[in-house]
Amino acid sequence: MAFFLNTIFGSLVSICITVLVTLAITLIFKTSYTTNFAQGVISAFGAFMAATLINKAGVSIWLSVPVGILLATAVAVFIDMVIFRRGRYVNAIGKQIITMGLMSIIIGAIPLVFSITKLERIEFPTFLSDVYTFNIGGGEVAITANAIVCVAITAVIVTAIFVLLKYSKWGLSVRATASNEFVAGMMGINTHIVTAISWGLAGALGALAACMYAGQTPLTSTFMTDYQVNAFLAGILGGFGSFYGPIIAAVIIPLANNLMMWIGGVANAPDLTTWTRVIVYGLILVVIFFKPNGLFGKRTAKKV
Amino acid sequence: MNYFLLKQKGLFDTSQTPPRSQKVRRILTNPMFGFILFGVIMIVVGFLAKNKIVIPYSWGSALSLTLSYAIASVGFCLLMGYSGLASLGTGGFIGIGTYSAYYVMNAWGLPFILALALCVTVAIICGMIVGFISLRIEGIYLAILTLGLSEILRFVFQAVKDSISLSSFNLFGVIQISRTNAIYLVAVMFVIIMIITNNIINSPTGRAMLAMKNSTAAAQAMGISLMKYRLLAFVICTVYAALAGTLLMISVGYAKATDAMGFYAMITSLNILAAVVIGGAKSIWGTLVGTFIMYGLQRTLLNQVQFFIDNPVVITFISGILVVLVVMFYPGGLAQLAKELVGKIKKLISKIKAAKYGKDV
Repeated sequence: MAFFLNTIFGSLVSICITVLVTLAITLIFKTSYTTNFAQGVISAFGAFMAATLINKAGVSIWLSVPVGILLATAVAVFIDMVIFRRGRYVNAIGKQIITMGLMSIIIGAIPLVFSITKLERIEFPTFLSDVYTFNIGGGEVAITANAIVCVAITAVIVTAIFVLLKYSKWGLSVRATASNEFVAGMMGINTHIVTAISWGLAGALGALAACMYAGQTPLTSTFMTDYQVNAFLAGILGGFGSFYGPIIAAVIIPLANNLMMWIGGVANAPDLTTWTRVIVYGLILVVIFFKPNGLFGKRTAKKV
Repeated sequence: MNYFLLKQKGLFDTSQTPPRSQKVRRILTNPMFGFILFGVIMIVVGFLAKNKIVIPYSWGSALSLTLSYAIASVGFCLLMGYSGLASLGTGGFIGIGTYSAYYVMNAWGLPFILALALCVTVAIICGMIVGFISLRIEGIYLAILTLGLSEILRFVFQAVKDSISLSSFNLFGVIQISRTNAIYLVAVMFVIIMIITNNIINSPTGRAMLAMKNSTAAAQAMGISLMKYRLLAFVICTVYAALAGTLLMISVGYAKATDAMGFYAMITSLNILAAVVIGGAKSIWGTLVGTFIMYGLQRTLLNQVQFFIDNPVVITFISGILVVLVVMFYPGGLAQLAKELVGKIKKLISKIKAAKYGKDV
């Protein structure tokens, strides 16, 4: 039992990162109708800014992370205003390829701007590495302060965005744009501003996630790719039809990964741990095959 | 008797064998001629590069790498340009080829032809799986799902054996093929693939795929079986990608599954997609040009310039900008651009002729 809880607590940070990235990708999918392959590198751009400020200039983490987030927001809004707004009537695959082109632009731009391709991981403040232990069911259960802070931040942000989506005027216009951009424009919604805000939010959420991840691993321009792929899969597992579906799936996927690890530990089969991700991804594909609209998606009718 | 004399005397007879100029033209306009000429040029360039005559040594491996990737792109061109299906699984499918090349030729020491057989068999199975999935899921969802499948393949590769290598092998017991002379084998394979692809495109199968791309409902109404042609499109694309993987293994010599910029990573699938789009999704020559821009340009021409050797990231940056510009302003790709240019030149020539000789000429 204690070991089981430890596995879950150990995956809290990666759950938070996946949830934030998935929310970002869902926002862009809903308003711009594309899967944003550049999400990971935009986030990495912000994280590079924060890490450079911390490692090189010695600025405090409380100042440099917001600067990194702001930079990623600015980059994302710039991309929407300069490129995506003009490419509005490109077909779906064309849009995907534009984001792919943006990905290689930013991969090229990171070494040009920061004159370095790999950065050391961000040193988080010392109090975050504190470990709290308590007794549950006759075993020691440990949780780090870092995990608690990450979960708190993520919970606050996700709740705030969902409340805004549900009750605010901005949320209404986002939902209108998501259901049909053209008609929303005719009804007097400024869809340009809606997409720009979505891109900005996506950039900010991605950069925050990248900063969380940068505490665990060295930074490269493609270091968010695994989380990005997870987020895409979470999107179709939960169904892009709703906002909450992908978020629930984003909690399920890292949890399933760690549960497989736990089963491997209990069954004492070290082979199982190397095949964990194969099994989890395979299960996801099987689920999507039988529910093509996702776990929480609705069936949409298509006109001929 | 001479052809012109016959014509002058009014004795021209159509039942006679056609004149030589017409024969030559018939050979020149045959699409096979272009492919074979291209293959011969590649072999000559490879030979010159190997012996360091005029052409730098590094071009040999660069060209064999580009041509190997071009095989995957041509398959993807059939899938996207002709069948209207999107896939991001190319990276994983390339891996099937590299691993069958490694296991058959390096680990088990069996001949090359068996490596091809194994990679084609596995690729057909994978292609059928994706094809069946494509019957239920479409568009962007399908693209993400194939991305997931490619990731699964990558994790399988990581779990089985992370890094593999292949130094040289014996082709039909006659020639020893290694990294230095891989270009000959790759060029021959590429020409065969191009001819097969051209025949598929111009056959009823290609027509059926085009019909399916334009409207699935209309195609079904015309009696085209969606299942048959979707499966076929995915099988062809997967087999080509796996063949490309085998050739890549031969021309590069090693592969690492955990490498974030390696063969099986997401970036490979995206680059192949970009190559097809830049070149023009409906033209196999355009696809070749697109692949050259994505993979060959940096390794051949740009590496002669000191500035690009010092700043290799500038090339990534520029290729990204190029992709965005082409998609936004030339949806038909470079093939469309070339077509428009040729049309403009023809118009210009006729204008000049009109100015010179009067309008009726």
